[in-house]
Amino acid sequence: MTARSDALFLPAGQPTEARPALRLPGDLAIWWFILAELLVFGVFFVAYAFARANNVELFNAEQAALDRDAGAINTALLLASSYLVVRAVQLAEAGRSRAAAPWILGAIACGLGFVAVKLWEYAIKLGEGVSLASSTFHMFYISLTFFHFMHVLLGLVILGALWVNARSGRYGPDNMNGIETGAAYWHMVDLVWLILFPLVYVMR
Amino acid sequence: MKYKTQAVAMPYFIAAIALFVGQIIFGMIMGLQYVVGDFLFPEIPFNVARMVHTNLLIVWLLFGFMGAAYYLVPEEAETELYSPKLALALFWIFLAAGALTILGYLFVPYATLAAATGNDILATMGREFLEQPLPTKIGIVVVALAFLFNITMTMLKGRKTVISIVLLLGLWGLAIFFLFAFYNPSNLVKDKFYWWWVVHLWVEGVWELIMAALLAFVLIKVTGVDREVIEKWLYVIITLALVTGIIGTGHHYFWIGTPAYWQWLGSIFSALEPIPFFAMTVFAFNMVNRRRREHPNKAAVLWALGTGVMAFLGAGVWGFLHTLAPVNYFTHGSQITAAHGHMAFYGAYVMVVITIISYAMPIMRGRAANSERAQVVEMWSFWIMTISMVFITLFLTAAGILQVWLQRVADTPMPFMMAQDQVQLFYWMRQWAGVTFFIGLVTYLVSFFIKGETKPAMEYKPATA
Amino acid sequence: MTNSHSTSTHLPAHGTPRRATAIWVALMAATLFTWAVGERGDAGPLVVTVLFALAFAKGTFVILDFMGLRQAPRLWPLLTLGWMALVCAAIGLAYWKGLPT
Repeated sequence: MTARSDALFLPAGQPTEARPALRLPGDLAIWWFILAELLVFGVFFVAYAFARANNVELFNAEQAALDRDAGAINTALLLASSYLVVRAVQLAEAGRSRAAAPWILGAIACGLGFVAVKLWEYAIKLGEGVSLASSTFHMFYISLTFFHFMHVLLGLVILGALWVNARSGRYGPDNMNGIETGAAYWHMVDLVWLILFPLVYVMR
Repeated sequence: MKYKTQAVAMPYFIAAIALFVGQIIFGMIMGLQYVVGDFLFPEIPFNVARMVHTNLLIVWLLFGFMGAAYYLVPEEAETELYSPKLALALFWIFLAAGALTILGYLFVPYATLAAATGNDILATMGREFLEQPLPTKIGIVVVALAFLFNITMTMLKGRKTVISIVLLLGLWGLAIFFLFAFYNPSNLVKDKFYWWWVVHLWVEGVWELIMAALLAFVLIKVTGVDREVIEKWLYVIITLALVTGIIGTGHHYFWIGTPAYWQWLGSIFSALEPIPFFAMTVFAFNMVNRRRREHPNKAAVLWALGTGVMAFLGAGVWGFLHTLAPVNYFTHGSQITAAHGHMAFYGAYVMVVITIISYAMPIMRGRAANSERAQVVEMWSFWIMTISMVFITLFLTAAGILQVWLQRVADTPMPFMMAQDQVQLFYWMRQWAGVTFFIGLVTYLVSFFIKGETKPAMEYKPATA
Repeated sequence: MTNSHSTSTHLPAHGTPRRATAIWVALMAATLFTWAVGERGDAGPLVVTVLFALAFAKGTFVILDFMGLRQAPRLWPLLTLGWMALVCAAIGLAYWKGLPT
């Protein structure tokens, strides 16, 4: 009967909320994957920080030449995108899979916005003659952001799949695994950017 | 065996094991040459023995991979092999080419061999692991393409599972990256740069896909865990392997004349290369713990678990030991590299091929598993080989640390040969561990000939086939 | 439309739209602040502490609310929050190491 009473459990914030049961949203495999990804980014961030410590002047000077507006706009786009995905997941959870689809589409639009801004930023930087080999700072700037950029692209593919499935009414309280799994990955892409932005664009 | 054409795997597996024996014999010859310098000189000089040792390893692993694919793909695709005749013809071609090449190494001076085989038309020889004469290299490409055609057609006409797709991806990658063996720019930096596209992107890239697919296949069969669960793990493992492995190539670019940023990229990404191996270990144990059936082939389960652990130790931990640029600055090309190479190849690729042989061979011989007695002997061989490989690795690591210290770190560094004299004791111990390994290998061979009561091969379906 | 949880074994983990919106607005405000710090070119240990405390707070909301780990077994929020704490601490350490002496 416990499983049954858990089943009666209503969304958080509603007065009938009983004792919370613990559940990992999405697939266990994606969470191991997210942990591994976080580890990769973590090592990368820490390597950046210590490389900077040995070369503070160079890092500060070249960081000042970065386009912080583009970085901040991209942060905002990722946050908005994450938020839209949350709303979509909530709709799916309420059994309204089709209503969730436009929210996912919105999230994709924000993600594409990120891609456009990033490409524009790269185009300008490359035009200035910046390359992997031009300095340690630029090596980190390009490889860190490009590694993240690849994750955004993968995340967009995943969101595309979620959108198709949501439109066909696939998701609902009984079938949350797919959408929660994809959402978790997308939030991870957002999460690492939240550290990347102050680290690479702002900290001096 | 579900499809009778799977039986073409049998000659491949037998050839693989026979060449494995040859590889170990040459390993022992070289091991002895480390301490008795003129052993078998001038008949088999050290460089020739080394070439034979490493080339045999590659060739027998390729035999193993091909046999595994011929066994696995029809069963996964639920159809007969596209052309069993082609598979058998390729077997004999590949075996003849391999044997001729090895005989060429042994009986013809390498320079004569090069001149006789058209190396002046397209120079590809003389590079470590890619020593094969041009006709052999072309033969490898032809055999690989025909083999890929055969199994790809098999998959296309049948069921397409994640496991067979990953396996094919790995095998196609193997063939494609081998093409860089033909690219030999005269600029030494570029030469080395692309040489690693064969060597590194094989063993730390596409071979990992092959390994993960073979392991997943055997685990589905022996544990009965849902295919869906195993496929999900497979996705995670191969993504991690590619994310870390591809840019991880940079750990070979520290000191060869490439731009300095490779020291960062190579260190960071290759430091994370243990993760997919760790995931594979967790995966193997997790699946076995969740097993839904007790498969009679206990030996295959042991090999599968052993692969997870030893690949993580050999490729993951021993690789990590010297992968960071500041460490590698001292350890580059020392016996520490040899230690890592031995345990990584054994743990990842030797063991995964033996795992699939251990699983498939009894079935091809008409029984679900070997007799209890045969399995006990096989498990003995597992422990003897694995433990002696651990000791080979430990002794080489000790030799490497001492070598690095004497030759590169100490205030008054010793010349190479003097440092070699100082580590002789470890070489002797390594040699005895190597002989023990050979005893384990003989035990393994014996296990194939032990008879006893067996059950006929059962036809069962995986839970979610 | 209300949910059909009476027949479902699904445990919701994603809160309400209102809460999500409030969090999102807060995250955007924090980003604006970080951007302003960057534009002013503020530097120093205090600024960096604030920056990464803010990044940690933002990440906490993303982990607990957006990813839905608030309702997950303890291990998962611990691992992810622990990762972020560790990374922020290491960045702080490196920053401190790079300060002029």
